Amino acid sequence: MKWNLIRTKVLAALLACLVVGVGGILALTSYSFSRNSQALAVESVSGAQKLFTILEAREISKMTSVSEALVANPQVRDAFVARDRPRLLEFTAPLYSKLKSEGITNWMFHTPEPDMAVFLRLHAPAKFGDRLDRFLDKEVVRTHAMVAGNELAKAGFAVRILRPVNDAHGSVAGYVEFGEELGQFIHAMKSQTGDDYGLLLSKKFVDKQFWADSNAQWKRRDNWNDNPDFVVADNTTATGNIIKFQGDLASTPAEGKVLERIHDGDSVYVRGIFPIRDASGNTVGAMFVVRDISSVYQAMRHTRNVLVLLIVVSLSLGMALVLMLLNSLVFRRLQHIIAIATCVVGGDYESEIPSGADDEVGQLEQLFEQFRRVFVHLLSCIPELQEK
Amino acid sequence: MSKLYDLKVLIENKIKADGLDAVAVKGKIGLRSGRMLAFISPDTPDEPAAVAKLRQAAKEVLNINA
Repeated sequence: MKWNLIRTKVLAALLACLVVGVGGILALTSYSFSRNSQALAVESVSGAQKLFTILEAREISKMTSVSEALVANPQVRDAFVARDRPRLLEFTAPLYSKLKSEGITNWMFHTPEPDMAVFLRLHAPAKFGDRLDRFLDKEVVRTHAMVAGNELAKAGFAVRILRPVNDAHGSVAGYVEFGEELGQFIHAMKSQTGDDYGLLLSKKFVDKQFWADSNAQWKRRDNWNDNPDFVVADNTTATGNIIKFQGDLASTPAEGKVLERIHDGDSVYVRGIFPIRDASGNTVGAMFVVRDISSVYQAMRHTRNVLVLLIVVSLSLGMALVLMLLNSLVFRRLQHIIAIATCVVGGDYESEIPSGADDEVGQLEQLFEQFRRVFVHLLSCIPELQEK
Repeated sequence: MSKLYDLKVLIENKIKADGLDAVAVKGKIGLRSGRMLAFISPDTPDEPAAVAKLRQAAKEVLNINA
């Protein structure tokens, strides 16, 4: 390949255009995919946060309604005021099995302050008399009004409501509490959005032994040592591979944070996390959000491949066309001029340079033909050549 | 006879011997040497520069060492 030829230079320029075009398409699609995946991740996190808030409000509303109906029931109220545990259990146990199927997993009666001990656990009737001394307990004692919020117990994180139960004279006879494990929320959220979720709990707020006991009771693997700072209370994925987080849960911003995109085999995921605070405002856990964007990625990759193919084909055709045009309009005619000039110098004075086009090369052909005629006329005047 | 003329004869003989296109080959040599072979006669005076150029052109086009 001769680099001094115009043909080579034009070909090199067109090839450079091809490379730049393909590179540009690759960079553009990569940038576009990054932007889109970032937007999807942001949308996943904010959407999950909103959905979580809605579910939380809905469950609080449900438990509030149930508690209102309960404290208005004279049989239940009287049994509680009389501290008649078997009778209270008899009246409430049938209702508990129904509430449990609706997601309410915790139901407790507490004696009034100053003890505020557990009088009856519907979800564990044999266990009572202990004091929980949680933030919500203190709040309901302080306000003597219904309080609601998330509260992390030793082995679980639940949204709870506590309200006073008054006796017939209107005095506080104790408190009733309903609770729903937050771990259940993520399954409801997955069914609504299709995204995967993981509920992470900070180890600072979870008792290790209680966690181990709880896992043994529910026949779950003890995952305490899986992560240094938190435990995965529940998740919606078959494997925990895509739930990986290295940061500090407490430093997660309130609006949530988008984490890095990950590839797992042929699948591509965007991930994010938002904090979950308890009733006292502590960041005790976080919700991990994972959205599978493999279909978006595949579609983007398909579009990129089509664009690259289109650019390669169109530029290749363009290159062929440009080279063909240059060949027929310029190079071939220049070669013809060179051949005629050579023949004239070689002694063939009759060969003419035809000029059919009025383009730039045509003007050169006309000029050369005029020059050739002048030259031939000049030669005809030289006697030596007349003899030959 | 001049050296230039000898070279011209040598070139013409080579063209004949190889059956080449005389006009095209003479044209190429003429353009490279800057001198038309038709103008070279036995009386053409030798100029060292012209001889060297013609010799070089003959070598390049016909690969003959004169």
